[in-house]
Amino acid sequence: MSTQEKLISHVMKEEPIGCRNKVTVVGVGMVGMASAISILLKDLCDELALVDVMEDKLKGEAMDLQHGALFLKTHKIVADKDYSVTANSKVVVVTAGARQQEGESRLNLVQRNVNIFKFIIPNIVKYSPNCILLVVSNPVDILTYVAWKLSGFPRHRVIGSGTNLDSARFRHLMGEKFHLHPASCHGWIIGEHGDSSVAVWSGVNIAGVSLQSLNPKMGADGDSENWKDVHKKVVDGAYEVIKLKGYTSWAIGMSVADLVESIMKNLHKVHPVSTLVQGMHGVKDEVFLSIPCVLGNSGLTDVIHMTLKPEEETQLVKSAETLWGVQKELTL
Amino acid sequence: MLITWWYLYLAARSVAEQTLRMASVLQKLITPLFTGTPEPPRNKVTVVGVGQVGMACAVSILLRELADELALVDVLEDKLKGEMMDLQHGSLFLKTPKIVADKDYSVTANSRIVVVTAGVRQQEGESRLNLVQRNVNIFKHIIPQIVRYSPDCIIIVVSNPVDVLTYVTWKLSGLPKHRVIGSGTNLDSARFRFLMADKLGIHSSSFNGWILGEHGDTSVPVWSGTNVAGVSLQTLNPNIGTDFDEENWKETHKMVVDSAYEVIKLKGYTNWAIGLSVADLTESLMRNMNRIHPVSTMVQGMYGIGDEVYLSLPCVLNSGGVASVVNMTLTDEEVAQVQASANALWDIQRDLRDI
Repeated sequence: MSTQEKLISHVMKEEPIGCRNKVTVVGVGMVGMASAISILLKDLCDELALVDVMEDKLKGEAMDLQHGALFLKTHKIVADKDYSVTANSKVVVVTAGARQQEGESRLNLVQRNVNIFKFIIPNIVKYSPNCILLVVSNPVDILTYVAWKLSGFPRHRVIGSGTNLDSARFRHLMGEKFHLHPASCHGWIIGEHGDSSVAVWSGVNIAGVSLQSLNPKMGADGDSENWKDVHKKVVDGAYEVIKLKGYTSWAIGMSVADLVESIMKNLHKVHPVSTLVQGMHGVKDEVFLSIPCVLGNSGLTDVIHMTLKPEEETQLVKSAETLWGVQKELTL
Repeated sequence: MLITWWYLYLAARSVAEQTLRMASVLQKLITPLFTGTPEPPRNKVTVVGVGQVGMACAVSILLRELADELALVDVLEDKLKGEMMDLQHGSLFLKTPKIVADKDYSVTANSRIVVVTAGVRQQEGESRLNLVQRNVNIFKHIIPQIVRYSPDCIIIVVSNPVDVLTYVTWKLSGLPKHRVIGSGTNLDSARFRFLMADKLGIHSSSFNGWILGEHGDTSVPVWSGTNVAGVSLQTLNPNIGTDFDEENWKETHKMVVDSAYEVIKLKGYTNWAIGLSVADLTESLMRNMNRIHPVSTMVQGMYGIGDEVYLSLPCVLNSGGVASVVNMTLTDEEVAQVQASANALWDIQRDLRDI
């Protein structure tokens, strides 16, 4: 008898059930791994699968995470180039694709990333036909549309990480201004995750006190507090970090874990994420933009109707038109 | 001339008006009740070095909610600022309200724990011991600055070769030996427990096993201590860990020793596991837990070791640092291995210059 047989007797007669709360991360670059470590440290899944095309890097990352198993509550961490390893995932986080170089706009990455998605999405769907897709790769709004088209999933199961991060950056800057924790500073950035995102000034509040009611010029020219600059810092945020350290990872990783938490724990929390906005706020085209959405274990089940000013709606329609302009040129 | 003065006046007036207007909005919103100096942080952690290991330590410590302030230091100013900003952008999701970074060590003042990850790392195939003199020179700059701004801190040394550099840190800092700890074999033991538990189909935390001695090629697996639910594996398999073992459990220890080299070969460096390991130590120290970890401590006088060397032994960690060391019952062979580690380390240490 081996040591194992002397030590342990197997008593369960049926097949083991296996994982019930599996998360897959596609792409083990900086964003993928930051998402993975954030998800692991928040104890959100009982199995984590990693997929990528670079086999050595993939194996190395999986080993490095497994070596930390003593400190984690995720018993099974697997990785393979073959998508069969992702079977039965509840949530699949897609971070694969090219990233912005210094000074490059997210929209520039489109065609390269569409081609990558044409390989990835069908493979994900094949092995996890009931999963929720969380798209992070940029330009996220367009790629969420692409993932939706390629997967054939209903719209409530295809979510783009969208402006969840922009709103977090905005709330961080608000927190710095008022010496408060960002969780107590409320503000929503919606629309495109990128240069034309929309800051909804009317909603910015602390303890329910609308800051715009205290400062009616908020966000406009002639605003003595220059809130427009705060929004500009949010838009420039990613470019600045990329210029300093070459890429961004930690903030987007934590933002992804935040979304995965709401889904896995069925929280029904409201997050600004990218969803199909056709028919809302005057948007006519089939585009994905970020608006406040309710996330739970079925996915994106409801959207919140914001009361937007005419200028804000115009900006959204303009974003939608820009995105549609790019989308209609794509070969899917 | 007059026009210049006029424009200057207009500018000054506009600034004054802006300030007054801003102040009045803040006043309308928030009434301060306490206007004294803010409290200093009680649970501040500093991470020196924002490379892959330093940032993995930082993120693990942040996500485990162990600190109320995090300071980052490095010499690469842009990278440092970028990393700080990236973490700050995630502050909504964290419970560490203050994240600061600077080349200047004054930003590290009043830290309870300082994690030192700075220095050069192993290239593919390179032994940790090869890095010594280069890292000693870097430490000569870092350690005195740390102590200057946080004289009461506990230093966790992570940079390799960790045992030698923990000795160097102890010498350069002048801190008492119980406040200078090396991350040591906490990670090797974690890897060992993962590999052994995986073979048995159980969680790592349910497999107990200790790897002591050098964090490196001559680490010592204490087979007599390996157990599951108190059942000693050596009692079930008396040959365990020896060359006569039919099941070749020794191979598992070899895999632990080779782990770092393997991961480095595959992805270029290791970071997640060491980051989690450091956060684990930080938790015991910060929360005064009196948990036992295999970490690098000053072992002169134990197991017949006469030299001033740092090696990993099971240490009780609390908010004072290393409170005590557990006297493991080692076989004669294991004692000999520990002594051999000590000799190898002392050989290197006595050649070090200017410490």
